[in-house]
Parts: sequence; structure tokens; C-alpha cells
Amino acid sequence: MRAIVRYAAVGATVLLTIAAASVRNLAQPRGKAVYDAHCVECHGDAGKGDGPASGFLTPRPRDFTTGKYKIRTTETGSLPSDDDLVQSVRRGLYGTTMPAWDRILSDDEIASVVDYIKSLSPQFAAGSPKPIAIGPGIPSSSDSITRGRTVYDKLQCGKCHGTDGRGTGAVTTSFEDDSRQPLRAADLTEPWTFHGGATARDIYLRFRTGMAGTPMPSFADAATDAEMWDLANYVVSIGRKPVWSMGADEVTALYAKLDADAQRDPIKRGAHLVQALGCDVCHTPLDERKRIIPGLRLAGGLLVRIEPFGDFPTGNLTSDKETGLGNWSDDEIKRVITKGILRDGTRLLPYPMDYASYSTLKPEDLDAIVKYLRTVPPISNKVPRPRWTPLPAFLWGKFKMLILGQDPPMAFFPGNAGTPGGPRR
Amino acid sequence: MTSRLARVLKWTAIVVVLLALCGFAAFLYNIPPFFLVSPEEFGNQMAAAAPTVTDIADPAQRAIAERGRYIVMTTGCIGCHARNGGQGPDLTQYLAGGALQIRAPHATYVSRNLTPDKETGLGRRTDDEVLRVLRSGTFSDGHVVDATAMPWASFSNWTEEDRYAVLVYLRHLKPIRHATPEPVKGNAITIPGAIEQDYGGKDYGVPDAPK
Repeated sequence: MRAIVRYAAVGATVLLTIAAASVRNLAQPRGKAVYDAHCVECHGDAGKGDGPASGFLTPRPRDFTTGKYKIRTTETGSLPSDDDLVQSVRRGLYGTTMPAWDRILSDDEIASVVDYIKSLSPQFAAGSPKPIAIGPGIPSSSDSITRGRTVYDKLQCGKCHGTDGRGTGAVTTSFEDDSRQPLRAADLTEPWTFHGGATARDIYLRFRTGMAGTPMPSFADAATDAEMWDLANYVVSIGRKPVWSMGADEVTALYAKLDADAQRDPIKRGAHLVQALGCDVCHTPLDERKRIIPGLRLAGGLLVRIEPFGDFPTGNLTSDKETGLGNWSDDEIKRVITKGILRDGTRLLPYPMDYASYSTLKPEDLDAIVKYLRTVPPISNKVPRPRWTPLPAFLWGKFKMLILGQDPPMAFFPGNAGTPGGPRR
Repeated sequence: MTSRLARVLKWTAIVVVLLALCGFAAFLYNIPPFFLVSPEEFGNQMAAAAPTVTDIADPAQRAIAERGRYIVMTTGCIGCHARNGGQGPDLTQYLAGGALQIRAPHATYVSRNLTPDKETGLGRRTDDEVLRVLRSGTFSDGHVVDATAMPWASFSNWTEEDRYAVLVYLRHLKPIRHATPEPVKGNAITIPGAIEQDYGGKDYGVPDAPK
């Protein structure tokens, strides 16, 4: 009798394993369909984190082929658990481009896409996640927070996050992740931007597990468990209110502080504006799959055909003296941004180079943009001059547009219309 | 005598026709009058087009909306989200959308109505939905917008607080009823590899159903 039960149990286990495995195999094509529909724009066709949008995002999208994940409840160097991945998809990663998918995808779809992204990295077949045991923690108190501040100094958190926690430590000007992509050090006073959440437990987990692929290490060896909980309580305590919870005086004070920051560091402000206004979207040549051609960010050469007017390759905005803005005066740069007039006096069309909108920038913001552009390393890329359509074709095009009522297409071409000479020293 | 008169009339007619043709060519050449309007005038029109926020009673919301206005105005959302009148963009219908159609590899998009109209604009979207498009280019049905069509990847570099300011400002605009079509999935590009925009004087919005 006992033997029968045992055989039945073994048989059931085997059957269940087979069933589970086949469900997994079935899940994969479904997971791939979900992936292809929603994830490719950022994470790329093959999951290498190189989708068309990836070059414009900070931080860069995850490369699923490496098996490295920032937000985990598992040991340093270990793979994330399935639940870690599901949670990251469900709630998104705050302070990044990754949205919360729980309002859009079903639980099944999320589970299947997680299975699919795991299949993109050989690590998941080779190893298994090592979950950490999380203790009850230390409730927040003024004592714990004070101790946490001591730990903050002892572990030199300020080197990256700044002594005030605002993410402006000495080393952050050239912050990069393991694949040499730009990164920001977290501003610890803005808890709504913490990628993995802002509870003391979330924060403790980041100290404990580290954030794989970034300069944020695990402190499991450098600090005791109690110290990490105190530190988490301290970080929670320095969080400020977001603007959507502020009263009028607080809003005014916040904006005054942001303006003061911008004045103190105009290059950083300029870099932000160039990214946020999307200057780099047009002034960078893209490949066939709409990704930045490596090494040519802001080097111009994206060809814009504006019918019936002509061909207008975008300008090289790097500080290269021969092919970029290196020899342009500040006023010449500002004139093209706000009036659309090139150095030789050529007037540009009011669109897509929307100088009329840029002319509403405050003078200090214009200065900041120019100051930043001066710091962009020179890249030689000789961009041809605009080529206007010959008169008869131009008039015929205008006739079609104005009399026949056809809107002619404006086309943005992939590839580099310029002649690159590579980076200069 | 009569033949002389006929000759004069003939030449007069020829000159008139030639002048008319030249006039028509000059008209075609100069319309739209991009290069007859000074760049400063374009800038002034743009600054005047963005509605001010002085009528917001709550001082905190007013300050936030003012920052949002600056971002919306300087970024040039109106460059795409304009509504075309007969003679180019109608700047009085600020951000009512429909001025251009973009053909991208996965879908064809028409610039949307960003005013708070409840049926055709952002009035039918929650705050989360609007912020998600600005942060991640992801619509409520899960469609991810081509980042070269709508540059949300650039706007993802705004801070979350600045995105909120943009939202507050957009919510404050005058609602304009102007339906813009949903994205049409599929590739309608005619020049292989390129992204195409149809842009001129047409309104790509949905015409109101006849009453």
C-alpha cells in the first residue's frame, strides 16, 4: 500500500513537472508576442537594451542578455527571483521610463513576458536565484535616523549622492553603468524617483543586494544588518515633499532653488535642455532601425527632405572647429536657435527647426545651451549645405500644395548625410 | 486702322496674361509667407499663443502651471499639436491638434488634441495616462509610440515634477472640441526607411458628423 502511494506521488510529480515545462514552452511564444508588442521600442528586438528610443533615455533600458538586474530580493551577483521581475514589470521602475504595466497587461501576460525575457539570458538556464532572508528591520526613530546618518558618512554615500543626499557628489559628473552608458546618481531627497520603491524595506534591499550593473555596490560586507536598516531609516527621513503635495510658498521656494541650481551649473542645465528639448533627436544621424549611429550624437547629418523646398541636413552641433560650432560665436549660435538664420545669412523654414518656440527661452537658458554645446567633444562630420529645389519644381510643388490641396510629405532619412572624420583629439 | 487696333489689343492681352502668370508665380513662390515675416514676428506670435495662467486662483497651482507653460512653450509642442486653419496653423486654437500626420514604421499617427475637452481631448485621460505618455510614450492600450514620431524619449528626461507641471498647464487650457483619429497600425511609408510627415495646410482631424 505504502509503495503504491509512493509510486503515485512520484508519478504525479513527474507529470506535474512535464506539465509545468510544457506550459513554460507554450508561454514563450505568447511572451514573445507581448514583448514584440510593448517592449521593443526601448529594449530592442533581441532584448539587448538597444531599441530605437534607447539612446535618448537615462538610465538606458535593461539589456536582458546579461542577466543583471538592479531591483532584486536576492544575493549580490545572483539572478533575480521571478517575483522580482514580475514586480518590476507590474509597478514599473520609478524615476525611469519603464511604466507600470499592471494597468495595461494581464497577470498572465506579465508572467509570460517575464518567462520570455528570462529565456534571453543563458544565466537563467545555468543558475537559480538565491533569495536573501529579510529580517523584521528596525522601526524608524530619531535614534535610528541619527545612527543612520553616521553610517551614511562611514560608508561614504556622499561621494556619489552628495553630503546633502541630492545626488550631486563629486564623482557624478561622469557617471556610467557597466556598459558605459550615462547614469544619474539617485537624488535621495526625491523618494518618488527611487527605481525600486521608497519604503525603508525597499531602500534596505538596495544596500543589501546592490544594484547590479551600476556603481551602486552591495554593503552586505561593509555594514551590519542593523546599520543598513538605520541607514534606510535615515534616507527615508531626508525625503522631501514632491511639488504635487506642496503649498504655494513651498512651490516658490522649490522653483527658486531650481533656478539657483541652474545658474550655479549652467552646463548641467544646458545639457538637460538639449536633451529635453530634443535637439539630439534631429541633430544625430540614425541607423536603419532608428537608433543613434554610435559616436555621432549631436554630430548632425540627419537628412530632412521638406517638399517642395529642398533637402536640409541637420547641422553638426559638436564643438568641432571645422565642421561643427567650434568657430561660431555665441551670438551666431543663439541667432540660429532663436531666429533660424545660419551663419551665412540663410533663413531656415519655421519647421521642423522650431526657432519661433525656442525664441521664447529665457536668456539664461539660451546661455546655458550655448555653454553646454561648447563642452560637447568635437566630432568631425562635414554636413552639406541645404539644397533648395530648382525654381520650376519648387513652383510646381507649391501649386500642388496650395491649389490641389495635397500636403507633400516631409521625410526624415536614416543614415548620415555628412562625411564623418571621426572624433578629434 | 482696325488691324492696328487689333494688334494693340492682342499685345495688351498677351502682356496682361504674362503679368497674371508672373503674379501667380510670385504668389506661389511667396505663400506661405515664411520669408516675408521676420523671425522676431514668428517668435512674438509663439509667445503670445500660449495662454497665460493668471486666472488660476490657487497660487500653488498657478506657479506650477507657469512652469508648465514655459516648458510647453519652449519645447514647441505647438509645432505638431497645432490645428490648421485655412492658412497654416491657427494659433488661437492652442494645442487642438490635427495639423500633421506622421507615417512611421509601425503606425500612422495624427497629432492629438491636447486641450482638456472631455470627448476629444485630454479630458478623457487620467493624470496617470497623460504622464505615462510623456514619460514612456505608452498609450492606455499598451501601444508604444514611435519615439521619432512623438519625441517622448526626450521628454522622459524632464523630471517627474516638471512633467506634472506640464500636466497642470495642459489641464488649464481652454477645451476645444476637435476629434483627432486614433493611430492606424501598419506601415504606410512610401520612401523606404524614412519617417514621413504630411504637413501643410490640411486638418487631419475627424470632421464633425453632419447634424
